[in-house]
Amino acid sequence: MAGKTIAEKILSRVTGQDVSAGDIVYPEPELVTVHDWYVVNFDKALRELGVERLHDPDRVLISTDHEPVAVSPQAVARQQQVREIVGRYGITHFFDAGRGGHGHVFPIELGYVKPGMFIEAYDVHVTNYGAVGALGIPVVVEITEVLACGSVWLRVPDTVRVNLTGSLGPGIGARDAAQKLIGDLGAALVDYSVVEFGGPGLPSIDLAGRHTLCNTPIDIGAKSALIEPDQQTLDYLEPRVEGTVELIASDSNATFRAVVDYDLDAIEPQVAVPPTPDCVVGISEVAGRTIHHAFIGSCAAANLADLRAAAEVLEGRKIHPGVRFIVTPGTQEVMAAAQAEGVLRHFIEAGAMITQPGCGPCAGGRIGGLASGEVSINTGTRNDYGRLGAPDSEIYLASSATVAASAVAGRITDPREVMGGAGG
Amino acid sequence: MNWIYHGRCWKFGDNLGIDGDMMPLRFALEREIDPMVLRDHLMCGVDPEFPTKVSPGDIIVAGKRFGQGNPHIQGFLGIKGHALGLVAESIPRGSFRNAINAGLAFLTGCDGVVDEVETGDELEVNFESGELRNLSRRTVLRYTPLDPQLRAIIAAGGWRANLERRLARLREEAAAPG
Repeated sequence: MAGKTIAEKILSRVTGQDVSAGDIVYPEPELVTVHDWYVVNFDKALRELGVERLHDPDRVLISTDHEPVAVSPQAVARQQQVREIVGRYGITHFFDAGRGGHGHVFPIELGYVKPGMFIEAYDVHVTNYGAVGALGIPVVVEITEVLACGSVWLRVPDTVRVNLTGSLGPGIGARDAAQKLIGDLGAALVDYSVVEFGGPGLPSIDLAGRHTLCNTPIDIGAKSALIEPDQQTLDYLEPRVEGTVELIASDSNATFRAVVDYDLDAIEPQVAVPPTPDCVVGISEVAGRTIHHAFIGSCAAANLADLRAAAEVLEGRKIHPGVRFIVTPGTQEVMAAAQAEGVLRHFIEAGAMITQPGCGPCAGGRIGGLASGEVSINTGTRNDYGRLGAPDSEIYLASSATVAASAVAGRITDPREVMGGAGG
Repeated sequence: MNWIYHGRCWKFGDNLGIDGDMMPLRFALEREIDPMVLRDHLMCGVDPEFPTKVSPGDIIVAGKRFGQGNPHIQGFLGIKGHALGLVAESIPRGSFRNAINAGLAFLTGCDGVVDEVETGDELEVNFESGELRNLSRRTVLRYTPLDPQLRAIIAAGGWRANLERRLARLREEAAAPG
């Protein structure tokens, strides 16, 4: 009998059926997440359908991460509507402004997410939950059906297995590996698949890096991404999760769409150039480009390790006079930890602005956006034209260390140059 | 629902884009979802006369990654507005869902189909069995039809109509005694 991938095992357990890639199923997610910018929309859709009660409000988690600090009268009114809607449906897992932080990140910190869990969400980067071996699948507007009926149809995805070897060098971030990987894999290979990370190099990637690895494949058409959970996963979750945590792995005779070996030793700093995240080049191809705006944050770089890597570059330096630099810690917990260990001080002293945890500017550039002709380097999820404001502004995506080095130099800069220079 | 479409073939190549090729982006931004509005703009990015040339029952045959790009549903609703069938070599994930949700009769995974037909050929496609008859060439091709559960959504009229049915069924179950 053919073995199963992690995704097939999770969907078999949830549906109570023996499922394989290609099957059509109606799996009930164990957690459903929606962010503050879609709550009013799903409520309107449910009302039009005559639905007054959710299938299971206790499985629903609402996060106020896209616009925690309301900066317009419309946003103030929307937050009020969200509070009313959440109360009306009896949703208890509600994280209002200032609580939790980024909805793709804090539920892991708070023990909502376990290896082998099945989660559905409105927003596409729910795939971050794969950082602890859960299967997070975005269903966008069809979340209305999940909220009303408990499930929506899903084609069981097949899996592209990525075996990591080696480890990342100094000044190299998981973002460099993640970007290079989606550029190399390509949309045709990963379409509708789960990208599963494992191999002897995985233990060298910390939880923050695992978030980043699981964040990027969706942007070239994958259905989800997850890591094969390991001892590091257990150690992280043990104090956070109620009950037992069990590991899950693909069977040795599982059928994969492809198996790819990936050598972390060979990764150099990478930059995604406009207009899509998979337009990835080595940093030498764009080094020297003048920038006006830098940003560290988003669900692709939400964790303490991302901030530490940047602070290490910034320590004792000032941001270039022509650059404004925004830092958005992913969660309340990350911000508190960064404050406690002195990481935030490096940003403040260098001249950066620190915002409320959540998505930060990456949520469509509502705060700290770009003007016509400006250039940004940042750790956000996407670099489509107009993503952060003016349609003719340009966005380059990179690791937090590269963003920090570039903010200091005023131009796109290899972080190893800055760190090397400080080493004397 | 009638799963057998009989009409002319309209052939397209690989990588036809959802925004621009199939439908002007502005309709996605305006959230226009009326098939009868969208039909007048279908495929205008590649053939401005397309909406005036096609008839109900005609069949679009396309190459790989039909509907690639940001998965907006408007192009598929435009196909629905003309009551056209669709046969493609592949459809990316987001557009696959949208084709179901728009309630289209379609086949995908039809490797090499663009080499077997030309625009203007008379085709008969049974979307329930997966059989494509090229009456002009007197050939018969067989492909894998969609899963019956997905065809049930299409037969209901697409996502919204299917969801309304599902909710009605759930309400009946909840109201049933014992």
